[in-house]
Amino acid sequence: MRSYYLPPLVPVAALVLMPFLPFVNSSGLWMGLPKMMVWGAFWCLMFTPALLLSERLMSRAGEE
Amino acid sequence: MILAFTLAGIVLIGVLGFVGRRRPAADLAEWTVGGRKFGALTMWFLQAGEVFTTFTFLGMAGLAFSGGVAAMYALPYVPIAYVVLFFLAKRIWRMGKERGYLTQGDFLEDRYSSRALGTVSAILGVVFVLPYLQLQITGLGLIVRLVTGDHASGTLSMIAGSVLVVAFVLWAGLRGVAATSYFKDAIMLVVLVVLIVAVPAHFAGGVSGVFRKIDQLHPEKLFVHAGANDHTWFVTSMLVSAIGVGLMTLPHTWPALMSARDPKVLRRNYTWMPVYELCLLLPMIIGFAAILVVPKGNDPNGVLLTLSKDALPGWVTGLVVVAATATAMVPAGGILIGISSLVARNITRVRSERKQFWINHGTVVLASALALVLGIFRPDLLANLLLLTYSGSVQLAPANLLGFLKKVPVGKAPVFAGLLAGEVVVIWLTFVDPKLVGTVNVGLVGLAVNVIVLALAALIERAVTRSGDVVQTGEPV
Repeated sequence: MRSYYLPPLVPVAALVLMPFLPFVNSSGLWMGLPKMMVWGAFWCLMFTPALLLSERLMSRAGEE
Repeated sequence: MILAFTLAGIVLIGVLGFVGRRRPAADLAEWTVGGRKFGALTMWFLQAGEVFTTFTFLGMAGLAFSGGVAAMYALPYVPIAYVVLFFLAKRIWRMGKERGYLTQGDFLEDRYSSRALGTVSAILGVVFVLPYLQLQITGLGLIVRLVTGDHASGTLSMIAGSVLVVAFVLWAGLRGVAATSYFKDAIMLVVLVVLIVAVPAHFAGGVSGVFRKIDQLHPEKLFVHAGANDHTWFVTSMLVSAIGVGLMTLPHTWPALMSARDPKVLRRNYTWMPVYELCLLLPMIIGFAAILVVPKGNDPNGVLLTLSKDALPGWVTGLVVVAATATAMVPAGGILIGISSLVARNITRVRSERKQFWINHGTVVLASALALVLGIFRPDLLANLLLLTYSGSVQLAPANLLGFLKKVPVGKAPVFAGLLAGEVVVIWLTFVDPKLVGTVNVGLVGLAVNVIVLALAALIERAVTRSGDVVQTGEPV
């Protein structure tokens, strides 16, 4: 598998697994917000740096 | 006063749509994809416009009100789809420009050398997306009805909104949708910020106050648990929606992608759009506030407007209604372009470009009239079909994915077989035996059957072609 596909797979996995992680999918709050909301928002934000990294890896591989 | 505000907002959106072009578009390609000349900013609002619809405004709040944190399934699926499009969009755009595609039907017809596949995919596209158009128009009426408490005002707004959408779409095509998208997103963001400050403060002393009370009184709303919206429902719904958007199975997403001036614009937007997507959390928080205030059993889709009316002065509520109206009218314009271009290019099959253009415009009028009449008199008639919008459309994903490859590895017969099997399974599980697969999204079950049938049919096709016949597909590109 080409390396530039890997960075966005990290947030994808974190979001797909979200309801199965007991420390995320439970009652209680983080920073005054539901845990899943904080987890989901954080990993959605991580897509941008992940895709920027993918772009850099693609241009290094000469496949932009 | 609120009704006057709303009608003024509807007229303003219509006028902005007309401003999109000085003269009416002269040919179908210019009308459908704006001459493929849109820059980064216009593309940003066009792409965001597909995401921020009445569902964003009313549906997300309603989903959080009825299902709690299960509503979070709707946040990740678009960014996940954008990852797929980040890698695919350049290729799709290039193929579209080189081969002159305007619609999904054009693409499938060319890649599989099959007019029948182009026509069938177009018919499926129209059938599955027409209820989505009606949802926008019905949503517009619901917004006004909820705030004014007057049924006739809701109907009047639906008629005024539909007439103006048809008028500016006929005049300006995708450029009109782009022009109104700027206004829609600007007013939507302003209103969401006002709501997120004012509503939780009014009812619970602020956002953290809302969640502290939820944690004490309704802790089950803060995690996904057994029931209709369980873990399986959450993940399978997210995956079906992500596959549907990422592999371009909804026909109204094609003109927007094809309209970019340069494929780099698309990739840049797909990189940054996930940040913008976080706006979806704002109506969700309003939905959580409603859990504390609105009695159970109320229409979930109305909770955002109910709380706005209680917490805000009349003129601000008017602004909320105009924003919600914009989230109905602007996507309706984009959906109309998707439907009419499919009918003109892939269903009616007239050769003359002039005739194609007029069939397209006739379809805009007919489709919106049908959605409006059904929205007023039989809102339930298309509601069942709405269940199929995503699960039915996503059955085109294997055909699209194989078509995106440099050389299409299978012929039209396996694709047809898989598509037919997938649609039959989805229709069966939606209307005949909905309990058979529990909380698994039926679109995913259909997709699994679709892929298995396609693979088996492809093996048979290969065995047959080894004995002489050649499988016909489009040229490698």
